[in-house]
Amino acid sequence: MPYITKLEKAGIPTVIVDLEDQHQMVKQTALRYGVPEVRYIAASRILRGEEDVDQFIEPMLEMLTRPLTDKEKASGKWVPTTNDRIIFEGTMDEAEEFFHQMEYIPHPVNAPIARFTDGLPVRIPTEARVEAMLKGTSHKPDELIVHHQDPMRGARRNPFAFQREGRRPSRSASPEAAAMEGMRRRQGTPVEFQPMGWTATVEKVAACAVMAGCTPEYLPAVLAIAEAGTFIGSTHTFGHWLCVSGPFAKEVGMSSGCGMLGPGNVANSTIGRAYEIMARNLGGAIPGVNRMTSIGSPFEGSRCCAENADGLPPGWEGINEEFGYKKDESVVMVIPHVNDGIRGVQFSPGGYRAFQKSGHGGIARKLGVKGKPGPHNWLEYLIDEFWAGREGAKTVIMVPEMARHLYEYGFKSKDEVYEWLYKKSFIPLGRYRHFSWPDLGTNGWLGIEPTSGKPWKELPDDYMVPAAESPYSFCIVVGGGDEELSHQLSSPHHLGIDPIYSIDAWR
Amino acid sequence: MAEIVRCINPTGISKVIETFPLASRLDTINGKNICMSICGEPDITIALEKKLKNDYTNVNWNVKKTYGLFPLPLTDEEFKTTHAVIQGVLW
Repeated sequence: MPYITKLEKAGIPTVIVDLEDQHQMVKQTALRYGVPEVRYIAASRILRGEEDVDQFIEPMLEMLTRPLTDKEKASGKWVPTTNDRIIFEGTMDEAEEFFHQMEYIPHPVNAPIARFTDGLPVRIPTEARVEAMLKGTSHKPDELIVHHQDPMRGARRNPFAFQREGRRPSRSASPEAAAMEGMRRRQGTPVEFQPMGWTATVEKVAACAVMAGCTPEYLPAVLAIAEAGTFIGSTHTFGHWLCVSGPFAKEVGMSSGCGMLGPGNVANSTIGRAYEIMARNLGGAIPGVNRMTSIGSPFEGSRCCAENADGLPPGWEGINEEFGYKKDESVVMVIPHVNDGIRGVQFSPGGYRAFQKSGHGGIARKLGVKGKPGPHNWLEYLIDEFWAGREGAKTVIMVPEMARHLYEYGFKSKDEVYEWLYKKSFIPLGRYRHFSWPDLGTNGWLGIEPTSGKPWKELPDDYMVPAAESPYSFCIVVGGGDEELSHQLSSPHHLGIDPIYSIDAWR
Repeated sequence: MAEIVRCINPTGISKVIETFPLASRLDTINGKNICMSICGEPDITIALEKKLKNDYTNVNWNVKKTYGLFPLPLTDEEFKTTHAVIQGVLW
């Protein structure tokens, strides 16, 4: 849309072909970029191309010649309805009613949607409660939420850059990274909350934290999450999980143990919920209007856990250290695209223990270690399923015991695991071509295959290519209870957002 | 009498937006340089490109095509000589 509005402003008439259910999103985005009356016409989701084109081509071309209406000729200023600090004044009962309003959203929702909440009851953000919440940070209420760091660069940010830049991300942006992100995400610039590109103060984040049920000591984590800008953009399922790494987790009583991503722990639940409350209020995200996740998911911004730093094997870094922070520094990691795929619960009760203790059961049979006690590399059991659904690196959540088995097997660092996973990801190009996303990522296979430096189209079907972007796009989260379990999420680090935000910066 | 509470506005700050008119439309498409800027949805855009070129031969079509999410922008030179742009399919 920025491109289209730039053309219109420069005097070049345009017409957009979109899909009908995305008209509202087109209108909102056009307004955001200052040309609210852009002309658009819908293509069909189901008609065959020729038939579809036959029905819209004439009206589409007519949009380039039909004279402008007075409305389309108008220039001026769009002024928001309210940016007032106080949004409501009245009794608590009236406030309850106000904050639990709904609005009817037509197709593709055809149902009412909450105006200020995630659909569940919230705690009303009274001035007194927000003031109490603000005691959780030293930052001033009227301070804008700004980026505390430049965009991530290097292997963590650019999936193929590891080949030239190595494993460690730098905290300072390269010229390329700056150009890629544009100036708006540089250190010190205000965070633009998605999808509407609005900004926010510390007080507004505190209000959202109150609504989510947080207590003041959780606020630095919520502010750090806010710095991520409530990225929700996709027509696919786009959910986030959050993981806190560093001493903050214990300080506020977060759970890194049994059920850490499930219900029960107040800090985990409310900090996670705050993401969704902020997306609705600070980002203006409305399902079916500008948030088009077709099916949606209970995982959309609702879950937060903590890394079990004590459960890391010797030599394995915490997430904070992996991203250039110290062990005693606290960060929150945003794990994107969680609900693109979650694989887990692969082991029967006792099945994993039998495999490691004495080499018995199905896992041992598959790995050819029947009768041989462990430690065995249990990832071997899962690896051929990793890319069953789609390509890409994964985030692997594992309980401490299973991390220790990998260490005892021979992986003395997380990097060694990442590198092993990457090597195992190589598949014949003929099979890689069967994934859907690379059609986009390779520009219709017109680009260059990164490991060979040769055009995709010149490579034979048996040429081996990595299904994962880089070793360091994988991520390991150690946490959970004693029962041996691992989840693998289709969510590498780099999908559109930086993954790591400092909590300490917001204390 | 029930206590009166004041509630903090949790919604983001939307700035005042300067709005611009649409560009003037063309008197005709005939003889004009029109860019067909294609992103994705080849089932639609292949048919569209074919029909535009076959049925509207008086137009000078410039097709800029990518399979990615973002359109290929006009070059500086194209910017000076292009009379209109069709963008599709926009996701």
